[in-house]
Amino acid sequence: MTDAAIPITQTAVEQFTRQYLSAVGCRIDADGERWDITVPETTETDVVSGNLTLWCTRDVENDDGGIPLHSESDFFQRLLTEAQDRTLTGRLKLDAEAGDVDMPSWLSGGAVEVADVEFFPVYDRTAVVFLFEVSIETVSEYQREFLQPVAVDTRSQEPLAGLEKRFLDVTSLGTEFEGASQVKTDPDEISTLLEASQDIVENRIQPEIDETLDDASRVADVEVEEFRQLQEQRIEELEAERETLTEQIEELSSQADDADADERITILKERRELNAERENIEDELSDLRRRRDQGFPEKQREIRNRHALNVRVSPVTVTEIVYEQGEAEVKLVDGQQSSTLTVGYGSGVGLTEDVTCAGCEESLGEHRPVQHVQNGPRCEECS
Amino acid sequence: MDGFDLVDVEVTHESAPDLLDSLGTETSVGDHISSVQATRIQAGQPDTELQSLPQLDEESVKLLEHQVDAAYRALFEMDGKALLADEVGLGKTIEVGMILKEMHFRETDGSVLVMTPAQLAKQWQGELREKFGLEFVCNYDDEFDGFDAHDHIIASIDTAKSDRHRKTVLKRDWDVLVLDEAHYVKNEETDRYDLIDRLTYTYAFFLTATPIQNELTDLYNVVSLLRPGLFGTRDAFHHYFVNSSQETLVNRNELQERLGEVMIRNRRAETDIDFTDRTIDTRTFEPTPKERELYEAVSEYVKNAYSQDQGQKLVLMLLQKEVVSSPVALKETIEKRMDDQSELTHTAELQTILDLIDEVETVTKQERLLDIVEEARENVEMGRVIVFTQFRATQREVLERLAAEGYTVHAFHGGHSSSEKEQIVEEFEEEGGILVSTDAMSEGRNLQFCNIMVNMDLPWNPMRVEQRIGRVHRIGQKRDVFIFNMALQDTVEEYVLDRLYHKIDLFQQSIGELSSILSRLEESGSSFEDEIFERLVHANSEADLENDFDAMAVDLEEQQELADKLEEFNDGVFQGFDLGATDD
Repeated sequence: MTDAAIPITQTAVEQFTRQYLSAVGCRIDADGERWDITVPETTETDVVSGNLTLWCTRDVENDDGGIPLHSESDFFQRLLTEAQDRTLTGRLKLDAEAGDVDMPSWLSGGAVEVADVEFFPVYDRTAVVFLFEVSIETVSEYQREFLQPVAVDTRSQEPLAGLEKRFLDVTSLGTEFEGASQVKTDPDEISTLLEASQDIVENRIQPEIDETLDDASRVADVEVEEFRQLQEQRIEELEAERETLTEQIEELSSQADDADADERITILKERRELNAERENIEDELSDLRRRRDQGFPEKQREIRNRHALNVRVSPVTVTEIVYEQGEAEVKLVDGQQSSTLTVGYGSGVGLTEDVTCAGCEESLGEHRPVQHVQNGPRCEECS
Repeated sequence: MDGFDLVDVEVTHESAPDLLDSLGTETSVGDHISSVQATRIQAGQPDTELQSLPQLDEESVKLLEHQVDAAYRALFEMDGKALLADEVGLGKTIEVGMILKEMHFRETDGSVLVMTPAQLAKQWQGELREKFGLEFVCNYDDEFDGFDAHDHIIASIDTAKSDRHRKTVLKRDWDVLVLDEAHYVKNEETDRYDLIDRLTYTYAFFLTATPIQNELTDLYNVVSLLRPGLFGTRDAFHHYFVNSSQETLVNRNELQERLGEVMIRNRRAETDIDFTDRTIDTRTFEPTPKERELYEAVSEYVKNAYSQDQGQKLVLMLLQKEVVSSPVALKETIEKRMDDQSELTHTAELQTILDLIDEVETVTKQERLLDIVEEARENVEMGRVIVFTQFRATQREVLERLAAEGYTVHAFHGGHSSSEKEQIVEEFEEEGGILVSTDAMSEGRNLQFCNIMVNMDLPWNPMRVEQRIGRVHRIGQKRDVFIFNMALQDTVEEYVLDRLYHKIDLFQQSIGELSSILSRLEESGSSFEDEIFERLVHANSEADLENDFDAMAVDLEEQQELADKLEEFNDGVFQGFDLGATDD
């Protein structure tokens, strides 16, 4: 499963800051770790005003009023929040120029190479990419959080894995896009696509949920077992105490038989007290045994409830993507042999139709790569 | 892993009205991409780079790739709770030093407790200070005022669990706990285990070269201290991972997967460390007729006494070992036993042995030791040689003899305090000469500045032999290492050396490899030492004895073949974890 999160390294911090400040109209004069920022009055940001100096280090001595820039610095956190709130929904267009035409690795294999690819766009199609923030939480494990992209075609609602990868590429640090960005798909339609995407993301994170569920259940089980052992120990202690009391009571009974009247009253009083104590112990014992025989259901429930998993899935960005659908002509070369394949292709999406073996007509793919091209692409078995 | 009830799962899909409301907003693509990027960065893990690395002084510590990798994984991939189980000599202390340095840099080391065996506490303190610039108070320091008086403490685990300190140790919420030689807490019935079990801490790093010492339960216990519940209940663990009828592993992949969440194990063979060569020179000497007579008398006595009373096994085993170490060691034990009127029987025979001891005028091994140290004095820097013996009496006599011959000598044994031991090692480094040590030296202490080692006598436990070698042949040793083994001909020592240790290539092995060979052999419950002793006392003739040792050697060879196969399998499937046998 792809995690869309970007590791917060110092390089990432500096790259994003530079990119964002430039985008809002600031000028940056960098000299090693020192960045002098000139902020025009028209700049659309609340994070900076006037001119300022940033220091790309943690150990900044603030003698000259410089501001530290690192992942945990207040400045960077404010910058990040502002950028994030700017516009969580948008639209971008991926045309053939926006990137190379990507061919899957299985199209070549053995001696076969992709010699040339040409893409002929025919019409535009639309897809939506949602970024979901997923958190899996339980008391015994560290909370797991990740970002999961889901791309679906607006018309077919089919997931487009290739587009998710492309989306992450174009939204990685260092990419630039220009132009207007207003989502055109109807909000109701987006809502429907969101529901479909929620199902997709839930299916995808199921292995992580299962894994955490196993871990949490195992820890809960250990806790239940420890509790059970503790109660067993208590039962043994109570049994021993009861035994001792019984012996003491018997001893007092025989003493009472031989005692004179005054002594007898004292002894019988003492015996009554011990009897009461023994009854209390017996009550506690029988209660404990009953609960043990039932498997301590309340305690089990309490422990297992405490270890229950809480999974939260929240959509955090929506990006409408317009991509070009058409055909790609792929020239495959195998030594002296060559073959040209025409196949459905979408910009950023990749191949949009199956390629079959010219011999057995089975679908080609990772599991069955192209091995030869004489009279069309062929898998190893049909070569 | 089955055998438990699953807890509930609640999946909540949060609605996003604000998000959907903003769909019609006109903006620029650049702004939207900035928002997406900011969202992706916000979701990223905090900077997972070892930021303190550039601060380290390269002169003081040379970091190796596997060490940096281990420190990184322990901190960032294992959430700060890890079992560092590198094979001996790969620098686990350095890995922890890096971790503590990084935590110091990130200010997450408010209170740190490093627990080590007593004899290593000062060494830890020195290494953390010299290599990483980290100041710790050691419980042997004068300024140590208790476990609640300092924030960075190195202490022996036995001091921490003592009645005097236990309460204070347990009362504190420690930020970081480091436990060296974690296999010392493998037994859940001990006070040591109980102490660690009750300690409160946020991050923990346990170190051991032998995560599985005898059985899989060792691993369960140590890992459960670190990550309670990772393996489930003890019963579930045994039921699921051990085939009880054959005492072999099942569901190995899952075990490995779980271990991978908490354990890092680097092996020598997988690291890019260029270890210097190790040359083994085994010298077998003809004993004098008197030494021969003494050896035979003791062996006969041991055999007879054992056949009559097996309860004396440990004492008898000791006598059998001492007779090949030195007559004086043997003498001391026998006299002590006779004075104590202990359970030793046949006092008349013992008296005869004492008489024989007195008749030994030349102690062959000591004479031959002079050849080796003289050679070293002429050829090695400052003539440094470390001589190991198992017995204090042998040690004393060797020291006297060497001193009389004009050598600079140093003694190291378990009777010294930790600071004295520290001092002795320093003096040995500065003054050179010969350090005569008992196996109190065996764990953790580093003597890379010396490259010649003599085994005056040989422990019957191969792990102990490897630990001796590990003192000098480890990272930082710049010269080839020479190991001299001394044995008397036709004695148990020669059998052990020739027929067993050389068969398993002991002197070229590391503990990780050895443990896999020995673990199956010891599954029956008897130790390697027991096996040797039983063969020795039950043999009816010389030929029998040779056959018995040959049979044991064949067993070992089989175990080695199995271990080799297993290792091959491990390489592919286990990424280096050493888990013993399997029947998957």
